[in-house]
Amino acid sequence: MHQKTSHSPLTVMLVDNEPARAAIVEQALIDNGYKVIRRLENTQHLTQAVQESLPDMIIIDIESPDRDMLENMSQLTKNNPRPIVMFAEEDKSASMEAAIRAGVSAYVVDGMQPNRFKPILQVAIARFREFQALKLELETVKTQLEDRKLIDKAKGLIMKHQGCDEAAAYTALRKLAMDRSQRMSEVALNVISVMDLIGGGK
Amino acid sequence: MSTLDRLIPINAPSDADVSLGFIPLIDSAPFVIAKEKGFFEKEGVNVVLSKEASWASIRDKVAFNLLQGAHMLASMPLASGLGVGSAKVNIQTSFTVSQNGNGITVSNELYQLMSTETNNSNEIRNGKALKSVMAKKGKHEKPLKFAMVYPYSSHHYQLRDWLSRANIDPDKDVELIVVPPTKMIDFLKNSAIDGYCVGEPWNSLAVEQGIGHMIVTGYEIWGNTPEKVLGVNQNWANANSEQHDALIRALNTACEWVDDAANLEELLSVLSHPDYLNCPAEQLRYGFSAIKPSGQFDWPMEAYQKFSSDKINRPNTDYALWLLGQMNRWGQLPAVSSLLDFAINTFDDRVYCRALNINQPCKPYSLTGLLSESDWLKGVAEDKIRIHPDGIEFGFDYL
Repeated sequence: MHQKTSHSPLTVMLVDNEPARAAIVEQALIDNGYKVIRRLENTQHLTQAVQESLPDMIIIDIESPDRDMLENMSQLTKNNPRPIVMFAEEDKSASMEAAIRAGVSAYVVDGMQPNRFKPILQVAIARFREFQALKLELETVKTQLEDRKLIDKAKGLIMKHQGCDEAAAYTALRKLAMDRSQRMSEVALNVISVMDLIGGGK
Repeated sequence: MSTLDRLIPINAPSDADVSLGFIPLIDSAPFVIAKEKGFFEKEGVNVVLSKEASWASIRDKVAFNLLQGAHMLASMPLASGLGVGSAKVNIQTSFTVSQNGNGITVSNELYQLMSTETNNSNEIRNGKALKSVMAKKGKHEKPLKFAMVYPYSSHHYQLRDWLSRANIDPDKDVELIVVPPTKMIDFLKNSAIDGYCVGEPWNSLAVEQGIGHMIVTGYEIWGNTPEKVLGVNQNWANANSEQHDALIRALNTACEWVDDAANLEELLSVLSHPDYLNCPAEQLRYGFSAIKPSGQFDWPMEAYQKFSSDKINRPNTDYALWLLGQMNRWGQLPAVSSLLDFAINTFDDRVYCRALNINQPCKPYSLTGLLSESDWLKGVAEDKIRIHPDGIEFGFDYL
């Protein structure tokens, strides 16, 4: 989808020290016909970089420690990036909220029309959330693997300690989890530490 | 726009009743302690603390209710409610978590220059020596650069106040920039800045490491004044008054605990944990204990950060009006229909009294000295009204 506008291509500065995410956001913006300046490192010289390259819009990770420095530029310079929230209607535009939920914060140069920055913001939001979802998926997989390992270990200990078979050990664990309204992996962890204490965990 | 519709909703990983943000500074201690010592839990509120990287991030997340409240600079609820620097969102504070703790530190090089201008240490402390140094600078030399932590902060206003009392124009004669507290010392060391105004321990550490000289404290500029507050999203607070009250009670208990010298070692070890300030406990000692590194100037005991007492914790409308006066003085204040109403609604001590069961009627509000609002703003802007030297609880001096 190539954006055709009567204007010259907008310049977007992307400040993100998550290289994988920066790469996918950058690609998406280029595909949409924007000029992208990418900065991975958060730096003493961010404000200088902004003054030199004069981007029309800055997309920055909401968790970046450099945001306070950047925001102060709007008080210092003529070419001042302002938080995009300034432009959000006071009824809180849905896209603003979506941006913050996705971890995107954006700054636009004073005077830029909302209809020009909205599509950029939407590309960034979409990619940030894709990245978030991927990370979440990865973490879930990792947790599941770790949970599985914990449960197996706890089962083994119960079998050894009680002299029972695997099915009985699993049932015991599950009952404990139900009674305490805890997750299986939490109960497993408790079992392992208790067994360690009473010396059954060797 | 289809991109937004196709998104997978991301749920916050916590099932907490209330998420509170904090910046890893020593005055986040009441939040950390209320969580770690179970004071929130005791009040029946399930709180998750979220470490944030910038004040801007705290402001945006509270505005959009990703966080229901946070550790904030006292000026932030005012700036948000006025819509300066961000969208207009009503954030209120009904509990102050700390008082004082700021200092102004200059580089060794600048200190040397000031020392050659005068033998009188008072002239170093009150900025007169700095004025003389600047008078000798050539027209085309770069102006001196001072840093503070946020445009809407006591640090920024104290620094400007201190400069102007020495006849230095903070807008024309120097350059003021924002630097996060944790980076101040590096910037000073690398000569990226010539001085800064910041909370502890960043003044003491610069002195201890021989990187700069702490020359004057915030207490000497403004007397005792509120520093950080619990700021909450007003819509959330109106719909969840019981939870808001529980937060206030828990933080009140935590503030008492933090101020109790018997808890110092435990406090330092909890705060230094990676989840919180993530630094050696020793580095934090200057923020809390009665010992400071020996520098050129002593800290008056009153200048130390304190956390607990009715005078400290109760929202102070006079201080809100003072901050609004400062915002106006430095060109940050938009037109407001009633400063007093706005101050009372933003620094809301009725909720404080309700939460802590204080029946003592809150004092009747008036612009101190029965000035009109425009006279009040004018008086503050012209430096004809100052906070009483001992602090805001004693009101103002009219010069």
